[in-house]
Amino acid sequence: FQDQAEQFFRSGHTNNWAVLVCTSRFWFNYRHVANTLSVYRSVKRLGIPDSHIVLMLADDMACNPRNPKPATVFSHKNMELNVYGDDVEVDYRSYEVTVENFLRVLTGRIPPSTPRSKRLLSDDRSNILIYMTGHGGNGFLKFQDSEEITNVELADAFEQMWQKRRYNELLFIIDTCQGASMYERFYSPNIMALASSQVGEDSLSHQPDLGIGVHLMDRYTFYVLEFLEEIHPASQTNMNDLFQVCPKSLCVSTPGHRTDLFQRDPQKVLITDFFGSVRKVEITTETLSLDRDVAGFESKFPEEELAAEPLKYAEQLPVAQIIHQKPKQKDWHPPGGFILGLWALIIMVFFKTYGIKHMKHVF
Amino acid sequence: MAAPLVLVVLAAVTVRAALYRSSLAVFIAERVEVASPLNAWKRVVEGLALLDLGVSPYSGAIFHETPLIIYLFHFLIEYAELVFMITDVLTAVALYLAIQDFNKVVFKKQKLLIELDKYAPDVAELIQTPMEMHYIPLKVALFYLLNPYTVMSCVAKSTCAINNSVIAFFILATIKGSAFLSAVFLALATYQSLYPLTLFAPALLYLLQRQFIPVKLKSKSFWLYTMQYVSLYLCSLVVIICLSFFLLNSWDFIPAVYGFILSVPDLTPNIGLFWYFFAEMFEHFSLFFVCVFQINVFFYTIPLAIKLKEHPVFFMFVQLAIISIFKSYPTLGDVALYMAFLPVWSHLYRFLRNIFILSCVLIFCSFLFPVLWHLWIYAGSANSNFYYAITLTFNIGQILLISDYFYAFLRREYYLTHGLHLTRQDGTEAMLVLK
Repeated sequence: FQDQAEQFFRSGHTNNWAVLVCTSRFWFNYRHVANTLSVYRSVKRLGIPDSHIVLMLADDMACNPRNPKPATVFSHKNMELNVYGDDVEVDYRSYEVTVENFLRVLTGRIPPSTPRSKRLLSDDRSNILIYMTGHGGNGFLKFQDSEEITNVELADAFEQMWQKRRYNELLFIIDTCQGASMYERFYSPNIMALASSQVGEDSLSHQPDLGIGVHLMDRYTFYVLEFLEEIHPASQTNMNDLFQVCPKSLCVSTPGHRTDLFQRDPQKVLITDFFGSVRKVEITTETLSLDRDVAGFESKFPEEELAAEPLKYAEQLPVAQIIHQKPKQKDWHPPGGFILGLWALIIMVFFKTYGIKHMKHVF
Repeated sequence: MAAPLVLVVLAAVTVRAALYRSSLAVFIAERVEVASPLNAWKRVVEGLALLDLGVSPYSGAIFHETPLIIYLFHFLIEYAELVFMITDVLTAVALYLAIQDFNKVVFKKQKLLIELDKYAPDVAELIQTPMEMHYIPLKVALFYLLNPYTVMSCVAKSTCAINNSVIAFFILATIKGSAFLSAVFLALATYQSLYPLTLFAPALLYLLQRQFIPVKLKSKSFWLYTMQYVSLYLCSLVVIICLSFFLLNSWDFIPAVYGFILSVPDLTPNIGLFWYFFAEMFEHFSLFFVCVFQINVFFYTIPLAIKLKEHPVFFMFVQLAIISIFKSYPTLGDVALYMAFLPVWSHLYRFLRNIFILSCVLIFCSFLFPVLWHLWIYAGSANSNFYYAITLTFNIGQILLISDYFYAFLRREYYLTHGLHLTRQDGTEAMLVLK
């Protein structure tokens, strides 16, 4: 029991956040909005409240004039699941979904007038789920058909989040064509990434609905949604199961994942660590004394659970460089020859005009 | 005459200093009418900053000033306002002295022609008297210093003021009769902006007149003197250009300055005629039209030289006006220079026909320039056509001004030799018509 209690303080996060982004507009990109809304639904069902979800949808499908079933967004062709629901709270809608706003949300550099619902108020004990979907390519994701975010920008944004201690652990899921290229450049610790397809592959959509007239969902997210429907707040399913979702036979593309930056073993990471807001509450009737003895503490856990090296924050101010600063560059001066030549000419002109006899007055 | 001149100078300096300290200075400095890509102060600062960073200032296609200007401002950049005020004062003083001398020459010539009986008997009222000409030099200095165009140009710290002062010194040297100094200053003026090359002809004519060498193509002394003057001019030009090479150890400044003036790549709107045409022209015609437009400046020299060979200073005035209308990047500073000469020909007043229209056109256009600029650029309710219309009208006004003065001058000359009351063969009154 004491081990379990110790485990309680070891998992690291105390709150959960989710940033769900759909970057495409227009009716024929219905499936991207449906993707995002299905992840939203799962995340909300598993306990993350709306105040901790930043939902960015680039277009309104539910109330689109071309929607034959207004106020609904379906995920399956038999209209089994309306992911729009009754209580969807969209934080960034339509033209507010831009690369700039997305990066501002992530890094926290938001104008003071932004309402709370549009902010990612995470701290260093937050686990954040970031889900992005839309049209993408090798190294970029297209926003609104007019701008792109590159994998380098995204990696730098995550590094800023790390340096500003805005996350404890981060799960990044992307469902676009060549999605794996987007997580290639991450370099901050504690990030786990999943993508729907490798570089060079396209992510395909699931099925069209002849009644609505468009493809309703992408394959990867469809199977992820199916997987997540089985999860409930007490599930012990771990990340390795999520990695198995949508094999090539079902998805046609090869989903990829990246765990090298993640400190913990994915086997030990619960799905609910990211998708749910599980409060670790254990009611006990007996008192516990938590052993503060470091030696005893360490011996209870197998070696591989300890971090290999302590996590460092990158140096913000390169003091060494500043101390040994280069000397300031000297200002430009006209060359001596030029000055000599010019003044010699001026003196010559002067004496030619006014006669050589004045020279004795000068000297 | 020194005291009133000093008063005028003081007043001018006060006006400029007051404007420098006011908030208008920034507003005026950005106006395209006074700051062209060739002489804007921003670009001088930029060029010097690039130099401090170790890069050639001509590398960015921003800076189009000559190396001598770099040298001048490298040490004087903190005192820029003082430099420009002093430049304006020097220009005015040079013009004052030049016109004083010119008046003496005019008198001498007039006296000679009266004694030689070249004038008709009834032209007493047309002859200039010392009384009325006493204040002309002061008026010239006044016109230059207190002209709103000059004041704005000075407040904008446009290097056009330096060009004006070099041209003023050139005029002073020519009228004083020193061929050497005149060649040196003309070389400096040509070196800075290409167009004063056309002032070579009037200067040559004036110096020949002063030496009493008749302008005949077969005369040996004429060719001798011309060759002397040409060689002085070319030598000084070559010396100045070679000296500029040694400032930065590169010939970069030649395409940056002269290539820029001649090929007109920058089409920022200004009060000239080039920008609009070249903005809408197809690429393969631009070389042809650049040549046509540039020839316009140089084209009038020979015909004017033939017509005005007896009156080289008037020729110089007309040539200056033509330069400031047809040059590739004119500014109001150029306009102010030839307007300073208007008092010298105030005796032509009775023959000027379009004074009212001209002055109205020029004044209204001056006021409409900023209005239409604002409407075009800031309000978005006008477009470039509006601004170009005002540019065109302004230039038409200027052309009308010089053609009016030209006609009045020729008319007076005709009346002087043929009498004021012209009669036709049958005895009725005749009218003089410019054909």
